[in-house]
Amino acid sequence: VTIQINKTGVVVIKAEMGGPGSSSPCASCKLLRRRCAKDCIFAPYFPPDDPHKFAIVHKVFGASNVSKMLQELPVNQRADAVNSLVFEANARVRDPVYGCVGAISYLQNQVSQLQMQLAVAQAEILCIQMQHEQPLQSHHQVLELDQDEKALLLNNNNINNCNNDNNNLGYAMSSGQFNSNFASPSSIMQMQMQMQDPLKQESLWT
Amino acid sequence: KSVMNPKRCAACRYLRRRCPKDCVFSPFFPPNNPEKFACVHRIYGAGNVSKMLQQLPVQTRAEAVESLCFEATCRIEDPVYGCVGMISLLQTQIQKTERLLARTQAEITVSQIKHSQNQHSEFM
Repeated sequence: VTIQINKTGVVVIKAEMGGPGSSSPCASCKLLRRRCAKDCIFAPYFPPDDPHKFAIVHKVFGASNVSKMLQELPVNQRADAVNSLVFEANARVRDPVYGCVGAISYLQNQVSQLQMQLAVAQAEILCIQMQHEQPLQSHHQVLELDQDEKALLLNNNNINNCNNDNNNLGYAMSSGQFNSNFASPSSIMQMQMQMQDPLKQESLWT
Repeated sequence: KSVMNPKRCAACRYLRRRCPKDCVFSPFFPPNNPEKFACVHRIYGAGNVSKMLQQLPVQTRAEAVESLCFEATCRIEDPVYGCVGMISLLQTQIQKTERLLARTQAEITVSQIKHSQNQHSEFM
């Protein structure tokens, strides 16, 4: 409630009812047609100038589910949670059958293809070095690898045989590593368990 | 009594209601797997799942249910990022593999150049 004196000396009392004269209700309360309380759980994350953001999350998850999810999180994690929910909701609306899982399948496919190309390139280097019988140290440009790159190399180092003919490289692919079954959630779940480094990049949705 | 019918699907058992013959959930939530529906219900709610399924052609519903279950499971395990965390991780892995691939291919080129230089000098 605010008390003001206007130009003619009249005392004007304004009660904050979420109406057009006072601070605007958040997008959630606007859509749900209810009073936007001061401690509204949605207000910090669903400003009134972006009604689509809440509309899409409400459509997929439902306001009460979103509220429940946010309440179970510490305040400093809620913004990221909202952004990831918005991302998932958008993906589900764009692809009602697969949602985000479609994107995961696609990216998993890309990883597999890149790992195959890497294995071929590494096999080729070994072949070149073996062909020319040059010691590794003197003519070999040493690659400075960090921990992750070393892990990737070890994962991909499945060289079966190596002919003198560079066009006919043979290499072994370990089973499960180059997974061609992308639509199956169980294969994706298996991959999830192999990943131990949960890097969270905020740039994903800024 | 029909309410206590043991052949009710997992959804109707969870919701404690009669399971009609044309129940939208029953093809995808068999009674022997109550966790599956509980998981999806917790994140999306029965009403939203029902709505989503009804808007899809019948032959796509099984895949839709599996992807909803997967996303719901990810969200329960990681309440902040859900399956979006996995997407982020994959993108990072792609970037790193691309960098390593580029470096390896550059090394191949260097080796090939050095080899051709050596061959040339032999004929001089």
